[in-house]
Amino acid sequence: MAEQFVGKASEFKDGERQIIRIGEDEIGVFRHAGAFYAYSNFCLHQGGPACEGLTIARVIEPLREDKTSMGLHFHESDMNFVCPWHGYEYDMKTGEHVADRRIKLRKYDVVQKGDEVYVLA
Amino acid sequence: MSSPKGAKAAASKSPVSKSPASKSPASKAKAAPRAAAKPAPAAKKAAARKAPSRAKAGDGDPTPAQKAAFLKALAGGVKPNSAALRKLEEKKGGAFAPSPPAPQRKVEVLRRIPAPAPRLETPETKDALRIAALIESGLARGELDKVQPHAQQALAAALCRLYAANHEMGERYPILTAQGAPVTATDVMVMCGALLKAVDLQVFELGMWQSWSSG
Ligand code: FES
Repeated sequence: MAEQFVGKASEFKDGERQIIRIGEDEIGVFRHAGAFYAYSNFCLHQGGPACEGLTIARVIEPLREDKTSMGLHFHESDMNFVCPWHGYEYDMKTGEHVADRRIKLRKYDVVQKGDEVYVLA
Repeated sequence: MSSPKGAKAAASKSPVSKSPASKSPASKAKAAPRAAAKPAPAAKKAAARKAPSRAKAGDGDPTPAQKAAFLKALAGGVKPNSAALRKLEEKKGGAFAPSPPAPQRKVEVLRRIPAPAPRLETPETKDALRIAALIESGLARGELDKVQPHAQQALAAALCRLYAANHEMGERYPILTAQGAPVTATDVMVMCGALLKAVDLQVFELGMWQSWSSG
């Protein structure tokens, strides 16, 4: 595993993504709430560009004490990204499929050294 | 040099001759030198006895002084670029050597996907949010007549036209969010029914339009 320079953190706005290629690997690098995350861009469903779809907050349905629904809400901090081909939804922080946590995108470590962002690949 | 016949006889005595391969003429021929070399073990033993004394006198082994320096370097920690480090590298096959720089793989940026457009708080947005909050608080208190029907009509018409105009321009966003008090399915059906009725549309016409368009 070697550190691969991706770019400058100051040029990487929050909410922005970069799709990069390192050798054979295609990787989506996200910046969300100040932190960097990197995942394989190959969807575990049928190989679609998993990191290039919508980013959307996790939808939650809080229940009242009597177990009736309070409606659907967006979670305030949990963000997901959605594969544009058929809608597999992955957790931004872990790369896990939100409905089945056993399904998990390959995660790459991201290191920030000063203003420079590196992916370990 | 023994004759092939003699070789065969000698080969049949040696353990090698038991293998099936030794039955071929070629192997028979090969077996001859082996048989002839049989008396050699004695000489080999003698050579082996001599060998350790030769090894002691070998040039490649460190002298006691070098060994002492090596141990001292080990105890004192290995300084980078020192002779001791080089010696260590030699001894350990490079295990302590600083790892060579990893081959640089090229990072190719394929696409940059910008962050979603930030929410702008324009003065008009602030006013609209204030009116929405006013209506919501009235609803929560059960004050259904505070916003009179003509004001509701004006709001509904303006919102309907604003949403449709944005939709036409490709600005697609959900008309309702899950934030705030939930809008129920009944609320939606009542409002949609009223809107359809207001423009004299039947539900099947809405269905046809949706199937023909991307709306
Ligand atoms: S390929 Fe990603 S959801 Fe089907």
